[in-house]
Formats: sequence, C-alpha cells, structure tokens
Amino acid sequence: MMKKPPERKKVSDEDAGLINAINSGRKSLFHDLVIKYEQKLYNFGLKMCGETRDAEDMVQETFLNVYRYLSDFRYEASFKNWLYRIASSACIKKRRKSKFAPQKDISLEDFIPDDKNNIPDSLPSWASEPLEKILNDELSDNMSEAILSLPEKYRVVLVLRDIEGFSTEETARILNIKPASVKVRLHRARLFLKDKLKGYFSE
Amino acid sequence: MRENNHDHKKCISIFKRLSEYLDGELDAKAYEEMRVHIKECVKCEVCLETLRRTVALCRNIKMQRVPDRLKERLKSMVHGSPNP
Repeated sequence: MMKKPPERKKVSDEDAGLINAINSGRKSLFHDLVIKYEQKLYNFGLKMCGETRDAEDMVQETFLNVYRYLSDFRYEASFKNWLYRIASSACIKKRRKSKFAPQKDISLEDFIPDDKNNIPDSLPSWASEPLEKILNDELSDNMSEAILSLPEKYRVVLVLRDIEGFSTEETARILNIKPASVKVRLHRARLFLKDKLKGYFSE
Repeated sequence: MRENNHDHKKCISIFKRLSEYLDGELDAKAYEEMRVHIKECVKCEVCLETLRRTVALCRNIKMQRVPDRLKERLKSMVHGSPNP
C-alpha cells in the first residue's frame, strides 16, 4: 500500500479569521485585507519596479490573484508570506520586461578593501550621528535609487529582509531559494548600498 | 589597527560574515571570535558600524502614500465594478 505524503504543518495566522470569513461567503470583507496590506505592497512595488504605474499594476495584479486563489489557501505559509510570494513573482515578471537594471552578479571581492589604509580609523559622521538627524527626504530618495540600481536577485532579497522585515527563512520560502543564498545575496546587497551611501555623504 | 602585528586575513574573513554577525545568525563560538576581534580592531569596527547604519537606514526609509487612483482601482476590483 502506498504511503500518504506527510501533511505540511499549518502555521498560525493573524489573518485567519478574516480569510475564513471571506472564504465562507463574506466577499466584501476582502476589502479589509486590501486596506491592511495596500500601503506595504505599494511601497514594495516601488522599491522593486521604480515606476509608480508599474507598482500600481503590480499591487492590483497581486490582489486579483489573491482573490482568485484565496479559497485554496491552506495556511502552509502565513498569509503575509503567501501575499509577498505572489507580489515578488509579479515584480520579477514586470522587471524582466524592462531594461532598468542589468542582471549581473555582485562580487564580494569588489568590496573587500585591498588596502587596509582605505578604511578610516574612526566612524564617518553619517554612521555616528543620530538616525533622525540624517534621514531626510533627499536621503530616502537617494537610497531608493541605489536600491533600484541593484541587480534584481539582490534587490528582492534586500527589500524583503531589510525593508519588509522578513527573516532569512521566510525570505527563502517566499523566493523559493535556499537560506544560504539569501544570506549571500543580502550581504552583497548591503555592501553595495553601504558603498553608495559613502559616496553620497562624501559628495 | 591597534596592533602592529595585526592579521589582515582575519579582517577579511570577518568582513565576509558581518551581516550574519549583525543578524545574530552565527553560532556562539563564531560570534564570540568575531566579537573579540572587532573589539580590538578599529577598522573592522568601522566596517561593522557603517554596515549596521546602512541596515538601519533601510529599515527607516520613508513610506510613500498609496495614490488615490490605486485605492479607487482596488475598491472597484473588490466590488466587481470595471476598472476606471
């Protein structure tokens, strides 16, 4: 007799009540899910796509897919993780059609100082002053631009980990890659941004 | 460096794992080894702190408001009306 495949463990989910209500027929409650996640998803789209129109289309496409497949959702991941999985796929699909960022690899070697004298002996002011003193609109715009110039596979990891706040494991599951790959890509993306920030503050 | 006989190779191996150090993803032994080195090495400390600040800036990046036209599109989608 064939063995049944092991059932995947279900996760507890803060959105379960709402999702169950929607799936039991109260379709208008879907708007509550939209309101809860629209701003986060839109900002995720902006970081990933760059263009407001693309981000808007991505958000709509994502919610349409969620609406379509919500009755099949089985809590094998949290709803939020599932939502970002759909959104990440939509962004990647959209970005492949554009030529904004080249899909090259970032080498760790590029950031290793070949001469230790290149590293300062004290913290630069941008890293030592209070965060609220340096984080203004101009810096936010500059960072967004730097994030957009990251090749996609690094950008999506950085945005999920350092902006959206997902763990290494969650990011790996959202992107269907190994946790070790998340760590490698994240470190290179952070070093890339650190370099850009250094350039921004020294200008 | 604070010491003249400082091992630059050690700095490089630390540099490669700074994110894991910041994220608390190292085992206790590796973490302690790095902590001890960074405490003694100004240049590694600068690398760590500038990376820490980069991450902090990402985490605090300003969020944009959802445009009204997107809110309307989503509302229409939920209530089954055609898109504007």
